[in-house]
Amino acid sequence: MKRLSRGLRILSDCAPIANAKAPDRRMRTAVSRAKRLEGFAAQQSFDRAVAKLVQATPVSPEIQEWFANEKMAEGAKRNWKKTAFHPAILAIGIALAVIAVVAGIKFDEQMHAFPGTATAKKLLNVAAMTRPSEFEPVQSEAGTLNDLFFMKYRLEHYDVPPEFSQQRTIGVRVFDDDEAGQVAQIGLAEKRMQLFLFPGRRDSKTGKAEDFQGWRYIQQEGWTGAVQARKGVLFMAAVRGTKKDLAPYLAKPQLR
Amino acid sequence: MTGEASKAQEIFQDTLREAAFLAANREPPADRYWFFREARWRCLDVVAHGVQPEQGASESTEVSPQAPEQIEQLEPEQLAIWISAAPEPQRSAIALYYLDEFNYREMMAMLGLKLNELARAIASGRRELQAWLNATVPAAAPE
Repeated sequence: MKRLSRGLRILSDCAPIANAKAPDRRMRTAVSRAKRLEGFAAQQSFDRAVAKLVQATPVSPEIQEWFANEKMAEGAKRNWKKTAFHPAILAIGIALAVIAVVAGIKFDEQMHAFPGTATAKKLLNVAAMTRPSEFEPVQSEAGTLNDLFFMKYRLEHYDVPPEFSQQRTIGVRVFDDDEAGQVAQIGLAEKRMQLFLFPGRRDSKTGKAEDFQGWRYIQQEGWTGAVQARKGVLFMAAVRGTKKDLAPYLAKPQLR
Repeated sequence: MTGEASKAQEIFQDTLREAAFLAANREPPADRYWFFREARWRCLDVVAHGVQPEQGASESTEVSPQAPEQIEQLEPEQLAIWISAAPEPQRSAIALYYLDEFNYREMMAMLGLKLNELARAIASGRRELQAWLNATVPAAAPE
């Protein structure tokens, strides 16, 4: 007759008294192999008889009373909801969510960054703080102001793009900014929009203007700007609102 | 395990009090085995400070096919006394095993034993119980 391996013999020594209670496959294997061996049937009969006697052991009413509320002493069961709402888990979750959102915003900013982003954001603040009375009154079409900028301030290529060239202006001013250089600011009648023209960033080694293609959006404190680079000069249309407020102007260039 | 109902009750109450304390500190016992482990350690601690039974060499013999008939002649209290006189961890292992409420993994967790230690405790307990049965209620001679 074959003998059980040491591992299976050890398991068969603690074989469940009721076969149905075998907790795992290895125990079931051990029991099934042990059943073929002489002596295991005697062990099981022995165990069943002892367990039966143990079950028959009378429990005094006094001790029964201790366990009258046995449920009360049951260990706390944690389901996924309890675990998720545990203060520590919740705090970690919120922290991770905040980090993810901040990282997402930073990533988005980097994706949409362009040469001159910092200056454009600064000028959005200027737009927010400028009152109409600060402009030198000029009522004209925005597209005609390039001559004014060139003749009066020697600002070359300060041209308003065709998308905004037919907008009526209420005033103009030109000022020097430490970072941006000479900035031309135009106030428009429509939606109290403002247009900015300022020098684009230049490569520190070559001195060449760092241009980029198309329109880039920036947003800051309720203001939105659409920026375009042309011939080393950046143009920004700024409006109090969202991209939706600027999008219609950028979609259809105004042809003269 | 303690040999005295009053001591057992005290341990029972201390165990529940400890569980309530942990629960109040938002660290409730992780599973129901905690109660068994805690109560057992408290019992062993009490027993260690009490009168110790004399350790004698226990006889042991292979389990007999006539054992069920021998066991039928026993009173439950006799078996309880025999189990309570066994040395630790054999006593706890046999008591838990024959309660027939726990599988071997649960018993290992409660008693803090490895599988081979649990198996040895149960197997030797079985053989020693058989030897005691032979001495207490001898099996009828086969016809």
